[in-house]
Parts: sequence; structure tokens; C-alpha cells
Amino acid sequence: MLKFVIRRLTFSIPVLLGILIVTFTLARAIPGDPCLAVLGERATPEICETFFRRNGLDQPAPIQLLIYMRNFAQGDLGDSMRFHRPVMELLVERLPTTVELGAFALLFAISVGVPLGVLSAYRHKSALDVGTMIGANIGVSMPVFWLGLMLAYLFAVLLKDTPFALPPSGRLTPGANPEPFYIVAGWIAEGAEPPGLLRFISRINTLNAVLTLNGELLVDALRHLILPAVAVGTIPLAIIARMSRSSVLEVLNQDYVRTARAKGLREREVVGKHALKNAMLPVITVIGLNFGLVISGAVLTETIFSLTGVGRTLVDSITSRDYTLVQGFTVVIAAGFVLINMVVDILYGYLDPRIRFN
Amino acid sequence: MAATRPAALQPESAYRSPNLWLEALRNLRHSPSALLGMIIIGALVIIAIAAPIFATHDPLKTMIGVPGETGRLPSKPPCIPILGCEEPQHILGLDLNARDLYSRVIYGTRTSLSVGVITISLSIIAGTTLGLIAGYVGGAVDNAIMRLMDVVLAFPALLLAISIVTILGPGLTNALLGITITFIPQYARLSRASVLSIKEQEFVVAEQALGANPLRIMLAHILPNAITPIIVQGTLGVGTAILDAAALSFLGLGAQPPTPEWGQILSESRNYLFTSPHLVFFPGIAIMITVLGFNLLGDGMRDALDPRLNRN
Repeated sequence: MLKFVIRRLTFSIPVLLGILIVTFTLARAIPGDPCLAVLGERATPEICETFFRRNGLDQPAPIQLLIYMRNFAQGDLGDSMRFHRPVMELLVERLPTTVELGAFALLFAISVGVPLGVLSAYRHKSALDVGTMIGANIGVSMPVFWLGLMLAYLFAVLLKDTPFALPPSGRLTPGANPEPFYIVAGWIAEGAEPPGLLRFISRINTLNAVLTLNGELLVDALRHLILPAVAVGTIPLAIIARMSRSSVLEVLNQDYVRTARAKGLREREVVGKHALKNAMLPVITVIGLNFGLVISGAVLTETIFSLTGVGRTLVDSITSRDYTLVQGFTVVIAAGFVLINMVVDILYGYLDPRIRFN
Repeated sequence: MAATRPAALQPESAYRSPNLWLEALRNLRHSPSALLGMIIIGALVIIAIAAPIFATHDPLKTMIGVPGETGRLPSKPPCIPILGCEEPQHILGLDLNARDLYSRVIYGTRTSLSVGVITISLSIIAGTTLGLIAGYVGGAVDNAIMRLMDVVLAFPALLLAISIVTILGPGLTNALLGITITFIPQYARLSRASVLSIKEQEFVVAEQALGANPLRIMLAHILPNAITPIIVQGTLGVGTAILDAAALSFLGLGAQPPTPEWGQILSESRNYLFTSPHLVFFPGIAIMITVLGFNLLGDGMRDALDPRLNRN
């Protein structure tokens, strides 16, 4: 197993290097003078020369790439041109929104998709099966941003004065300013600068609410999360439902399932212990593959639900040509994507020994 | 397909039973999802070609000051005849610039269909070429091409497309190019896998022994055997490409106003969701139906073209 993990880790390194090189090249391919873009009217030739020297832009491109890699390894992604703050700081501030949204979207997709798929396979060709498959087909065909808008209209306008009404924007009710858990717990005095990791965790509202045992905050955060999470999770849900269905269908026809039945095992044990265990392997792969969809969905959904996450910041920065931010965020998202895929692969190897030894 | 093949070419393709394609076609006819998909796509193609006939108005013309028009803007309660309103001239009402929404949605079919088909065709051509070369040549070339594909796949597709469009500048052509690049690795991987499995077979080795040109071997022998999964993947890909293009337009990076493009129409009207939901509803439905058509056909084709599934 260790050998497999090491092999998989070494396989990710060239891809990570490739990502750095590609984003580096993409950033350099952007037309226009970076000095002019950052300093605007103040950019005289002398000032620009200093600017270039300070940012290492007077060095040959390969040296620049090495500097860029060194900085990246040290967690330095440069300063945002628009916010005049380190990109890393912005990331700590805004990534939690996206992580929370993505996690709940995936949770929704898995907790609904897998049971639906399994039941459809088990009741093959029943009304439930046909309905699920029609629903799944429609689900994968819907534009995420459109679904988000329609959900917002349904729950914030049509159901306005009913108990089902849900807020169409923001992460918390305006005015709510929850205390971070590290202050409630007295770990860090108010006003002191907490480490990035603590700030990161405290900005995941639901997690912060649980850590501070604040039920009201938890309900508020969840109510704001439902619509965007459903919007982001619908396409993955449809894909996961289809995959679990076809995977369970295939397993149910296997000899060992028939043997299990012939042995007189209860149906619950046949399906739960024998069939599902093997059927879930491809489902795990599909779940891993869906992280990309979740990130793409988050970019669009954050724009609709006014969530200041990584996606929305990225799109806004593109229009305002904040290249360092775009470059930094893209690298981090892509690197995260690679890491998640690696974890999924390792998990897969752990669950299925055939992969490990191949 | 086999029926139209000139007789002289028959011996060369004799390894592929001509019945396979016929059988696939028959399977396709019996698959309800493929049939429905074909009907939807067929209807959309007709609408796209004959858009001027289906549209009731010029999609770019504002109806302000036009005789017989109220010039009603959606800030007032929308009047949608299809929902039982008594104002007959606009089927889906007017958009924010007082243009006929129905005609804009109809013309949008042209943009979305062509974007979907062009993107996928370009990425199939590029991806298949790369995959064929990587698989056939092997060694360092294979490694270089496939590692590059790994890197492209490491980016979430929409994010990569956004980054590319940022550099090239917003616009439909650049969006199309950006999406194309994100799709290339799929086809490269598929065709490479097919090449690897076919390359060692006797008929290819025999051809090599006869001294045939590698290009000829690739195009005449390997490609036809590798094409089936690519076609299936391509059909499913058209739907995804249409969704991506709409998303880019929605973010303001794809089609620019006043081009009638569904994502762009949605983007224009999304701030009016709470007062004029119809402006958002119909373009989205159009996108959904189109993507659904390609997905259904792709699913049906996968089942029909995969002989392993013909157990019954």
C-alpha cells in the first residue's frame, strides 16, 4: 500500500510542475505592460525600471519561473493589483465560502444520488427507475447558473411568505457578525492576529457555528447554503445517480450475488454486504471526478447568490485585469484539484487491491 | 455506411463486418432515448436553418417607436401572450431593450448549435491527431504529449476556459477556442488507447511488413477502428460544450451583445429576475432542451455502437 501511495505521489509532481509552468506562461501571454497595469498614470520609465527590478521582471524568463516556483513553495502568491493585499490573504478570506459551498453541494449530491441510483437499480425498470433516469437526464442538461436563478425565484419570490422561503443571496442574514471560535474559546485575545489556518476555519460559517455551539448561527448559515448548494450539486447528483445505478445493475448480475442468495442470505445482506461494496468502487471515482464540476459550478453560483468566494472573486478580477490574483487563485484551485484526484486514486487503491498491484 | 462504400475498397475493410454498422443503426432506431434525441436535434437544426421563417421579428430591432407596438419594458408587469395575456404580437414578450424575446431565442439556436458542433469538431480533430501520434510513435513523443494532456485535465474545464479567454480577450470566437482546448485531452486519450490496442494486431503488423507509409496505416487502418468511441464521446461533448459556452457568455466572456445567444440573454436579464422571470426562464429552457437532445442521442449511440452490450 505504501509503495502505491508513493508511486501515486510521485506521479502528481510533474502535473503540479506543469500547472505552475502553464499558469506562469498564461500570465506572461496576457497582452499589455504589467507596470502600466499596476501603476497606471504613475508609470514613468524610471519607476517602471524599479518596479521590474523589485518584482524580478528584469530577469530572463526561466529565472522568473524559478523565482515564481520558490515563492509558491513558500506560500507567497504575490500581491493583488486590485486589492493591494497579498493574494494568499485574500485566499484565506474567500476560499472558505467556496469550500463550504462545494462540500455541501457534494454532500447533497452523494446523499441523494447514491440511494436513488441504488434503489433504481434494485427496482430495475420500475416507475422509480424510469423517473430517476429521466430526472438524471434533465439534471445533467441544466445550466447551473439558470438552475440557481430559478431556485432563487421559486424560494425567494413565489414562496416568499411561506415557511419554505429561503434567502436568495449572501451567506448570513445581513448584520450577523459571528464571533470566530478561537475568540469564543479564548485561544486568542480579541484584536490579536490569529494564524491563517484558524481564520480559515472560522470563516466556514457552519463549522464555526458548530465549534461555538451557536445553533441560531448554524440554522442561518444552513438556510443560506441550501439554494446554492442544490444548484451546484444537481449535475453531480445526476451523474452519481446514473453511475451508481449502472454499477449496481452490473454487480447484481454477478455470480457471487447469486451464490449469496442461494446460500439463503437475507436480501438486505446480499445487497448491502455483497453487492454494494463492489458497486461503490466506480462511484467513488465518479465522485472524485465531480470536484471539477463543483468548482466550475461554484464559479457561476457564487455570482448568482452574491457569495464572495473564490469563483466570484476570480471572475471579477478578470474584468478588472488583476493578473496576480487570477494567476494565484487558478494555481491553487488546479493544485487542489490534483490533490483531490490523488486522494481519490489512493482511496480507490485501498478499496480495490487489483488497482494497487497493477 | 457499408452500403455506400465502393466495391474496390471492400477487401480492405473486410475485417469490419458490414453488418456492424447496420446493426448499430437498427439498435439506434430501437432506442427510445436515441430517437428522442434525434428528434430534438433534428427540430433544432431545422429551427436554426430556417430561423428567419420561425422568428416573428428582427432579433436585433428595438420595438420602441414602432407603429402598433406598446414599447412595454419589462419593468412594468410583463405581458406574455403564451400565458394568456391579450397582447398578441409578442409570443414571449419583450426583453430589456424592447426586443422580441421569442425571435432572439430562435436565433440563439444558430449560435449555440454552431458553437457546440464547431468546438467539438475542432477538439476531435486536434485531440485525435495528438492521440494517434502519441500512440503510434510512442516513447518520448508519447510521454510529452500525454503529460501535457494531464496538465490540461488538471484544470477544472470552465476555469481553464475562463483563463484562456482572459488572455485572448472576451468574444465568441475566443470562448470557442478556450472551450476547444479544454476538450482536446479526452479525445487524445481515447484515440491513443484505441491505437495502442489496435497497433499490435496482425492486420497492422502485416501492413507494416508490406512497407506501408505510417500515415496511411494511421488513417486507413487505425483511425476507422478507433472512431466509434470518439463519435459517442463527441455527441455527449456537444451538450457540454453548449453549456460551457453559455456559461462563458453568462459571465460576459463569450458572445457579446447584441448577439442573440442564450447565455448572453440570460446574463442581460438576470438582474431583473424578480420582476421579469420570463426573460430568464425561456433562454434557460432552450439551453436545457438542446443539451438534453445531445445527451440522449449520445447515450443511445453508446448503447447501440457497443457490441458488448448486445447480450440479448
